[in-house]
Amino acid sequence: MPSNAGFMIAAYVIVAIVVLGYALSLALRIRRETKR
Amino acid sequence: MTQRDRAAGIARWGGVVTGLGLLGLAWVYVRALVYTPVEATQGAAQKIFYVHVPAAWAALLAVSVTGILSIFYLWLKDRRIDLAAAASAEVGVAFGLVMLTTGPIWGKPIWGTWWTWDARLTSTLFLFLLFVGYLVLRGVLTDPGIRARFSSVIGILGLILVPFIHLTVYLFRTLHPAPIVLKPSAPSLPNAMLVTLLTSVAAFSVLYLGFLMQRYALALLRELREEALASAQ
Amino acid sequence: MRALLRAAWHIAVKDVAIEWRTKTAFASGLVFAVLVLAVLFFSRDPTAVASSDIAPGALWVTFTFAAMLGLNRAFLLERELHGLDGILLTPVPRAAIFWGKFGANLVFVGAIEAISLPLFVVFYDVPIWMRFGELVLVIAMATVAFVAVGTLLSAMAVRTRYAELMLPLLLLPFLVPPLVGGVQLTARLLEGRPLSDLSGWLKLIAAFDLAFVSLSALLFQVVIEE
Repeated sequence: MPSNAGFMIAAYVIVAIVVLGYALSLALRIRRETKR
Repeated sequence: MTQRDRAAGIARWGGVVTGLGLLGLAWVYVRALVYTPVEATQGAAQKIFYVHVPAAWAALLAVSVTGILSIFYLWLKDRRIDLAAAASAEVGVAFGLVMLTTGPIWGKPIWGTWWTWDARLTSTLFLFLLFVGYLVLRGVLTDPGIRARFSSVIGILGLILVPFIHLTVYLFRTLHPAPIVLKPSAPSLPNAMLVTLLTSVAAFSVLYLGFLMQRYALALLRELREEALASAQ
Repeated sequence: MRALLRAAWHIAVKDVAIEWRTKTAFASGLVFAVLVLAVLFFSRDPTAVASSDIAPGALWVTFTFAAMLGLNRAFLLERELHGLDGILLTPVPRAAIFWGKFGANLVFVGAIEAISLPLFVVFYDVPIWMRFGELVLVIAMATVAFVAVGTLLSAMAVRTRYAELMLPLLLLPFLVPPLVGGVQLTARLLEGRPLSDLSGWLKLIAAFDLAFVSLSALLFQVVIEE
């Protein structure tokens, strides 16, 4: 079996970063809008 | 209950749905990384499949929703439809980014190359660029009526473009078959893998819905504030 | 219907006449054609890659640049002369504006293509005479595709401050099917394959033309309405 777990980890990390990043961006923008 | 309260309500419920989606995604991570067996010929990298394919599905869903809502906007002229279409476009760009980054990372160990001009990747790439253009266009147009109309035009054009790009790549491939060493997407997946995939598709779908609600609510809140400012003058 | 065609004709003639007076974009189109053809020729390893291998790609990159230049010219004109506002005040049927602009853009892009083609034959030593008619058909079909969508998109881009950036950004994805089809068909024609072998690509570009020319004409009216 080829040892390519590095790629798997990289992909899963990137997905987490993008998804969490976007979720955070939305939450912050909404907070800024509702604070006014 | 004012319109603003209603929008804030959508934002809150959207947050709840997104939260559920994130929990679902966390569960998918655990299931995929720990409990799903490793594929013998492809190794651990095959597991990228469990995030790549659902992201592709979510991106495609997002742009289809934008396209369909664009048609409805031109028909009904309700600005909220335009805001929803734009929300879906932004969410689509986020999922498209996931797909376009995981694609090459999966491709390199499995196919030996970072990029293959196959139908799915190629369509997603150009659709991604089109929707980035859509968002940029919205960014530079200040009049809300013009912005809504022009966005709808792009949305509809994009919807019709997708099958053509698919066909282009298909024609290219049938006449020039690429030497594919391993074909990762198996039509008959063993049960454990199938369940993980379906769980992931469900998680991404819930995330899409949550993000959509939140982004729509945000746009609505902003528009309401702008209207309030304008009428105060 | 006749009023529509007549109005479209007048709009087309006006646009072409204005451009003809200055010929600036025409000249830069020519320079670009020579530049692209030359660079692509010199970019390969002559012992490994025959000029006939890259020829179809070189030709179509040149045509794509021609289309971009032609479409850019269209809205520089609009901006400077506020031409569109004037037309909208008249009782010209709105659909005529699209067909008129589309026609003028086709003439302009077609002119650059007509000049690039002989340059191409000379620089790449390509024997196009046997398949000339078919080649012209393929070029026409793909050009109609770029120009139709481009005419629509430039009407939108001109309303922004960054028109020269927005047009290529928005147009790019729509160039893929006609461009790939055009290159493939050109390559096969030059190899000597009969037209019947190429029905797949021909049908693709024909379907694309049908869908996008009608869609562009329809959506153009949405774009210019006030």
